[in-house]
Amino acid sequence: MYSIDLKAWYIAKKNVKEKLKNLGSMFWTIAFPIMMLIVYKLAFSGDDGSYMINGLTTFDVEFPGIVVYTIGMSTVTSAVMFAMSKKDGTLERIDSMPVSRGNVFLGAVISETIFMNVQLVLIFAFGYGVLGAHFELAMMPLGYLIAVIYGIAAIGLGLIIASFLKSPEGANGFAMLAHMCLMFISGSFFPLDNGGVFFTPQYWVKQVYLQLTVVGDSFSDKLYSGTIITPTSTATLIPIWGGLLMILAFTALFIILGVKIFQKKTIL
Amino acid sequence: MNVSIKKEAQITYSDHTPLDEKKYLNEYIIEVQDLEKSFNGIKAVDGINLKVRNGELFSLLGPNGAGKSTTIRMLTTVLKPSNGDARIGEYSLINEKNKIKPLIGVCPQENVIFEALTAEDNVEFVGRMHGMEPAEIKRRTQTLLEKMNIAGRKRSAKTFSGGMKRRLNLVMSLIHQPQILFLDEPSAGLDPQARRLVWDFIKDLKNTGMTIILTTHDMIEADTLSDHIAIMDHGKIIASGTLEELKRSSHNGNIIEFSFSSKEELIQAKNKLKRIINVKKITEMDNNKLSISFTGGVKAFKQEILGEIESFKTLHFREDSLEDIFLKLTGRRLRD
Repeated sequence: MYSIDLKAWYIAKKNVKEKLKNLGSMFWTIAFPIMMLIVYKLAFSGDDGSYMINGLTTFDVEFPGIVVYTIGMSTVTSAVMFAMSKKDGTLERIDSMPVSRGNVFLGAVISETIFMNVQLVLIFAFGYGVLGAHFELAMMPLGYLIAVIYGIAAIGLGLIIASFLKSPEGANGFAMLAHMCLMFISGSFFPLDNGGVFFTPQYWVKQVYLQLTVVGDSFSDKLYSGTIITPTSTATLIPIWGGLLMILAFTALFIILGVKIFQKKTIL
Repeated sequence: MNVSIKKEAQITYSDHTPLDEKKYLNEYIIEVQDLEKSFNGIKAVDGINLKVRNGELFSLLGPNGAGKSTTIRMLTTVLKPSNGDARIGEYSLINEKNKIKPLIGVCPQENVIFEALTAEDNVEFVGRMHGMEPAEIKRRTQTLLEKMNIAGRKRSAKTFSGGMKRRLNLVMSLIHQPQILFLDEPSAGLDPQARRLVWDFIKDLKNTGMTIILTTHDMIEADTLSDHIAIMDHGKIIASGTLEELKRSSHNGNIIEFSFSSKEELIQAKNKLKRIINVKKITEMDNNKLSISFTGGVKAFKQEILGEIESFKTLHFREDSLEDIFLKLTGRRLRD
């Protein structure tokens, strides 16, 4: 087995070059997040204030949902990328070279993370800067980190989907379906009073992220003692640090499962 | 180096050979032993054995579905054999496949290129995967792309014609100067001019001492390029040798083709020829043509055959072709 080395970086570089020349991919990366923000802002512009909490508008409270939705699109882009590499034979070609699958996976995670960061910068700059969503500046790095970790979970889910589907078109359709279903089930689009939300990473990301928005500077004080207080979905007794652990657990689970299943399905 | 086969038909190597003798022993750079691959119980490759000498061009010839590509995919480490093993260089395919990868270059049957990238980017990527230095990659990329007439193109490979993609596919397999090059149907889908270019390029590669394994269902390609030919059918190697050896073993004797003005003339001639002992095989072809395989040389031709046929339009002598050999071995034409 070859170890992970600099080749992962060259694979990532190749993936980035490919994505930059793909108009569809660039739409999802750049245009889509901005479009979503504008849609949300317009949708909640007639807000009468009844949903406000701690002086926040509905748009402020829904903003974490937009982050979850946008970053979750990595499920779709990574599923398409891996399914494409299976179908067009490039994965097999790479397999005949002295490079490990570890490098292939890491290269994919690096390239997807690069685009995910571009999306996050856009959302943060446009959402907070242009559309005026509320956020404590000091909490921004933590919010950013949570979004990136969730993005890696989304790549893992994309990998699982790509393992079972033979064509990039099929992977695109199924991944989009899975992403949308999870967005609804998790209550990320609108509040959902159902225990099923706990079984989705989107729920935990949105709720922890929401704490950052709602409590701001008090976040570190509430990390151990507080609970996932939520004005928009089912509440739990699990403290905030538990929510962080859930996000990490989902990420580890999706990546490990993704790699294992993809290996099993593609090592012939 | 002794080669022995375990119960599981895997090859093990007890290497006590002094270094200076290794080269001699490695005259065969590839040794395949009982290699087998099944898909859902159906044997695509059925226990083949073959040996490839260092520096030779070895062709696997056979119709579509014969198992050529599956064999290549196993030898290039991307497909795990169901049974058997192979030694490539000094390494076992089953146990040391990661040591085999740096030795080989693979040009797949389909054009497996990164279409969004330029030709240079495609080749550079493969070079990087083989751990080459940037300056070396750049120098070799330029040389190879120029040789293949695809240098200096700044647009992505998806804008290339089929022939250009095919040539890029080939260049990508060569950037790291592999010791062994696997070419799976290298000229499939190329126009005659591009095909000639690829053939000349393969001949040049052969002259550098590179070992080349080529699969093809094109007999002219196999005939033009090969030092050694193995004919595959239904997952098995049914004959193997140099072209001369194959011709000798097929024992078809001399072949002559007559063409006739009418079907009646043809039938009349055929009935007479059937009675001649030296005529071994008569094959009726399209356009009122008969192909006759016979023994006894010129004497038999003049005295027995010509004497029997009263009238014909044209006659044409020819040697056994690979097509004849394949026909004799399998009872069907290569493209059937």
